[in-house]
Amino acid sequence: MDVNQDELTLLRKVRDDVAEPSTTAIIAGRAALLDAAAPRAAQATRKRRALRRAGWTSLGVVGAAGIAAALVLTNIVGLAGWRGGADPAAADTLTSAAVAAIHNADPVVGPGQYLKIETNAVGIVQTSTVDQPGRFISYELASTDQLYVPADKNDDWVWVRPASTVYKTFGAESAQLARNQVEQQTKEFPNGDGTLRAAAGGFYGSPAVVSPTALAALPRDPHQLLNQIYRMTLGAGSGPDSEAFVYIADTLRSGIVPADLRAALYRAAALIPGVSITEKQANLDGRIGVAIGIADGPVTRQDIVIDPSTGLMIGERSVYLKAADGLPAGTVAGFTAIRTSVVDSAPAGGTLCGDVNVCSGSAGK
Amino acid sequence: MAFAELYDRHAAVIHRYASRRIGEAADDIMSETFLVAFEKRESFDDSVDDARPWLFGIATVLLSKHRRQEARAWRGLVADGLAAPRTAGGVDRPDDRLDADREVRKLAAAIHRMPARDRDALLLYAWGDLDYEGVARALGVPVGTVRSRLNRARRQLREASGRDASAEEVEHGRESGRADAAPQGA
Repeated sequence: MDVNQDELTLLRKVRDDVAEPSTTAIIAGRAALLDAAAPRAAQATRKRRALRRAGWTSLGVVGAAGIAAALVLTNIVGLAGWRGGADPAAADTLTSAAVAAIHNADPVVGPGQYLKIETNAVGIVQTSTVDQPGRFISYELASTDQLYVPADKNDDWVWVRPASTVYKTFGAESAQLARNQVEQQTKEFPNGDGTLRAAAGGFYGSPAVVSPTALAALPRDPHQLLNQIYRMTLGAGSGPDSEAFVYIADTLRSGIVPADLRAALYRAAALIPGVSITEKQANLDGRIGVAIGIADGPVTRQDIVIDPSTGLMIGERSVYLKAADGLPAGTVAGFTAIRTSVVDSAPAGGTLCGDVNVCSGSAGK
Repeated sequence: MAFAELYDRHAAVIHRYASRRIGEAADDIMSETFLVAFEKRESFDDSVDDARPWLFGIATVLLSKHRRQEARAWRGLVADGLAAPRTAGGVDRPDDRLDADREVRKLAAAIHRMPARDRDALLLYAWGDLDYEGVARALGVPVGTVRSRLNRARRQLREASGRDASAEEVEHGRESGRADAAPQGA
């Protein structure tokens, strides 16, 4: 891609490779339309129903998920609980973890101190090939970030994001590409994104997705919490249950979730049908915990890894259930492992966007 | 108007647009767009040849209910660039990945910060492939308003990427081609 190309040309290439709609989705959408259009009699009542339906999702098309979605949205009946819940063994583990989380209260971050969240993350990079469209070369990069959250959440947060390293490659082509990539990146930005500093965690010039304010507003009652999660994630992901679980994993991995909310999130996860123990002794970044997960679409599974005896969140991971994207079944497509502690100081310096100037008008290279 | 025909002709285009903005909920946006279109069929001007602006207008309203998902997608691009799973930016040659990555992150940051109405105009133009007239009809605003929204949006993109923001504002007519293959210095 030519760097000097104009901004619209570049924009036209962003997310240019999205998947075509599936045949199922095309047929379902067509059927819903014909269904709404067909009966000329009873036009008045039909019209109203079709319009309401259009408001949320294609009911009847997505079946049970759609009906559930309607119930959640209208808030007549909550979705949490009435369709059963997690597999009993998973529910037990989650409940133990919730009890332990409350029992082992979080260390207090005193005035002037910081909650330090160390994140070891591995993510997959997929590069499309020029000569064979649709073929991807994949490799995995590891990053180790440290986030410092001040006692007063409105003060400056500091985020140290060093350069990524190669974690895993898949064949010679993949290894070569990964090595070139990291070498080139390290040459230009030896410290990766470097040190970022932003009031209230507004790194890169935009508010944090998982913010203390947003977390404080979430209910601590597991049923209410799960219903709210269903509402917030409606329509996203591969289904309401898996997306609710993904939301829980995303929230927990931020590392800033207080013990009472962590306990409520565990209990909420125990209410989600399809959630089960996927590995009793899961090793995530050298630490052992229980992996609890749910299939997220036909290809991958989302797990959280927790220590039921302490209630601590060790991390989360995404696992390939079958071979896809040039990766064998069982590949861990990415994981995040977190460690939290209380420290007396944060690194000095840092700018809104660190070493990589992606913020207009802000400091940085 | 035969709605099935309208659907067959345009469903994939609406899906593609929705998918680029919010990801997987695109199936619902596609289906809902045509249901709403059917409900509002009296409001469609038959004298207009192209139904796309009208359909994109409906899709834009439906998409506005997914702001949170869209914000998350843009933020993902800003924080992690092309390394973020499933946000590949059409990178052609691996060697260019770093440059492209940084450019895309800047771009995503600017789009993430933009007011929704500027973002809608920009993306309908760049991703929806509508011309100024089409964007105006989709959003129900005068063409002059579209022009100023697009100018503002493009200026923000140029400022974000460190290009000369005072460059002359030129309407890129469809006649002159999409110029995708012709890099243009600012």
